[in-house]
Amino acid sequence: MADVLSVGVNLEAFAQAISAIQALRSSVSRVFDCLKDGMQNKETLEGREKAFIAHFQDNLHSVNRDLNELERLSNLVGKPSENHPLHNSGLLSLDPVQDKTPLYSQLLQAYKWSNKLQYHAGLASGLLNQQSLKRSANQMGVSAKRRPKAQPTTLVLPPQYVDDVISRIDRMFPEMSIHLSRPNGTSAMLLVTLGKVLKVIVVMRSLFIDRTIVKGYNENVYTEDGKLDIWSKSNYQVFQKVTDHATTALLHYQLPQMPDVVVRSFMTWLRSYIKLFQAPCQRCGKFLQDGLPPTWRDFRTLEAFHDTCRQ
Amino acid sequence: SSVSQMPVAEGKSVQQTVELLTRKLEMLGAEKQGTFCVDCETYHTAASTLGSQGQAGKLMYVMHDSEYPLSCFALFENGPCLIADTNFDVLMVKLKGFFQSAKASKIETRGTRYQYCDFLVKVGTVTMGTSARGISVEVEYGPCVVASDCWSLLLEFLQNFLGSHTPGAPTVFGNRHDAVYGPADTMVQYMELFNKIRKQQQVPVAGIR
Ligand SMILES: [Zn+2]
Repeated sequence: MADVLSVGVNLEAFAQAISAIQALRSSVSRVFDCLKDGMQNKETLEGREKAFIAHFQDNLHSVNRDLNELERLSNLVGKPSENHPLHNSGLLSLDPVQDKTPLYSQLLQAYKWSNKLQYHAGLASGLLNQQSLKRSANQMGVSAKRRPKAQPTTLVLPPQYVDDVISRIDRMFPEMSIHLSRPNGTSAMLLVTLGKVLKVIVVMRSLFIDRTIVKGYNENVYTEDGKLDIWSKSNYQVFQKVTDHATTALLHYQLPQMPDVVVRSFMTWLRSYIKLFQAPCQRCGKFLQDGLPPTWRDFRTLEAFHDTCRQ
Repeated sequence: SSVSQMPVAEGKSVQQTVELLTRKLEMLGAEKQGTFCVDCETYHTAASTLGSQGQAGKLMYVMHDSEYPLSCFALFENGPCLIADTNFDVLMVKLKGFFQSAKASKIETRGTRYQYCDFLVKVGTVTMGTSARGISVEVEYGPCVVASDCWSLLLEFLQNFLGSHTPGAPTVFGNRHDAVYGPADTMVQYMELFNKIRKQQQVPVAGIR
């Protein structure tokens, strides 16, 4: 509030300016009164015209005088709002009902808060730009900005290379079988069958995993026309939960320069669900919580946890 | 699935014990989802076919489960289970010369289905003729197809719900340890449960009206 006063509102000039406005208003209304009354009775027509014009001129002069006075005073009053950080909203502090509605102090709080938010967001964006967490390689670093439309190299891998990576992973895990198909051109789709526990549909874009849906071993994974059904979810809550976690895992395992490592890490993580119904929670020791088994697998240790029991 | 018998609570009727169980399920948060019925009729090989081959009479059980309305199950004790469509009942009438229905052998269980998360729980009243003989409790965990994989998990659920009356692992669970569980395995459990209840018939159990 102190800095509002220090801007130097000339209260005296303010009061004078207000009376100047009143004077101006009355002189203006006198002009109109004079016009409304018209010419008064005088002996001769010439006398009548002369008197009217003189009267009208007098009135206009006084309007001019009052207007000049107001202009002079308005310069003295100054422009208090101009230097205030909140501009005109700073005038809220002058509101006498301030005690009842603390609008101004709330406004100041919000202003400080949004300033801080902007500052922290700036820091965070700086830090994130240093990490290559982005899914597409073309968003990394400053150099990429100059050629934003360049295709990331990992998106144009030859299908043969993708096939090799997948078949190597398939051979790595005996209890996991991976069936690769390309129903929609070059993008591969995988049907992963894990023991007799679950099936996973994996939609690939080159060697990037775009989408996964987890279903039960006995659930149908094909549409009526015999294609992999990549849209409908499992009928069982437990597999819907695992689908959510698998989607989280896709965001966790990211290494744009080495997409084959990413796919392998994801499949290793997925394989830990072989004990979905047999592993008790590593935190609470139980099998069930709200009717669900431990559906979460730690990304590093692959230990089983209930969704609500994970750290 | 696990099918087991829940003993009638002391000083209570079958109906009261069933109500006690269903109230417990509702408190857990289970939701009612229609009704169910499993029935079983006993047949024995006709005397005319016995003498000539000199073998002991074998019992055959013909069962229906409302969960599989288009199927009919024919089971031999410790033997194979045949899954046929419902026309099988007509066939049995035609086979009167070989298989005869045992008199007043029909036993069935009826009750309400409850859904709790991925569990399907069926609490039924077992009746023979017109009298209530006992209570059946079936718990099915749909997501898991290998019974022995989810036994610990089922057991934990059963313990929450049946307390000290939690049954042991059904024998069908141990038979083929990583085989896919099927409807026939449930039928075998119901058949065993019905046979147990039939034998209890002679000894009146306290509390049964
Ligand atoms: Zn837990």
